Amino acid sequence: MSESISSMPFKPKELPHQVVVPSNLRAAREIEEQIVCLAEKAGYSKEASFAIRLAIEEAIVNAHKHGNQNDTRKTITVSYEVGAQRIVVRIRDEGTGFDPEHIPDPTAPERLPLPNGRGIMLMRAYLDQVTYNEQGNEVQLVKEKS
Amino acid sequence: MTAPSQNPGACRMSVDHQGAAIVVKLAGSINMDVADDVQRRLIELIDSGNAQRMILDLAELDFIASSGLGAIIATHVHGRHQDHELVLAQPAPKIRELLNLTRLDKLFPIYNTLEEAINRPADA
Repeated sequence: MSESISSMPFKPKELPHQVVVPSNLRAAREIEEQIVCLAEKAGYSKEASFAIRLAIEEAIVNAHKHGNQNDTRKTITVSYEVGAQRIVVRIRDEGTGFDPEHIPDPTAPERLPLPNGRGIMLMRAYLDQVTYNEQGNEVQLVKEKS
Repeated sequence: MTAPSQNPGACRMSVDHQGAAIVVKLAGSINMDVADDVQRRLIELIDSGNAQRMILDLAELDFIASSGLGAIIATHVHGRHQDHELVLAQPAPKIRELLNLTRLDKLFPIYNTLEEAINRPADA
């Protein structure tokens, strides 16, 4: 059985910047803003900045709510590199992980009225790569410049 | 250290009444910081008034994440139990794309102009 690219565990490689923030949404959004600001300064388009902002936001929400179970004593680790041609962001929580291939389709008619469950779909739709580590508690987001 | 370019947590909300409809203009961003508050305020508006329809004017909405979509969906579900209708109006192209992608255009009526949303027949 073939495995889709999005489910293949990525090979960890050191990224130049790493920040550990408390697991609360306000603290996490500050690093989101830093990365988006760097992307804009590096000449990424508005569309690309919108996409990376959206994806980081979704990943942070998932890390806080699902990974860390809203436990503000835990942390979220954000590693990133805003390069000339691509942005790579890695977001890790302290949870036990999950299987990203077994997420219900949020566009199914019976799921449309549900307020949650769209984050992973949006990340995949707006980015070039979305990959998880084997444990499922770290996601790597990649947005190409062009 | 690079300073944030703006305050993306800001969501500005203004309310107007147009006949039987309440028009809520949402501007700025509906992100993880503010989604719960936006939802609470929208539901309060439904519960505290007699309007049969709420129109969310999205013309000046720059950003929305799934938490914001969830706030709008929860408002829709809450209102539906009271025969209250939620309608979206004039989303910017990138917001419209996101609504289409998530197929929320199947859940809410979405109009390109505020006038169309206001003049929508009650039983449409």
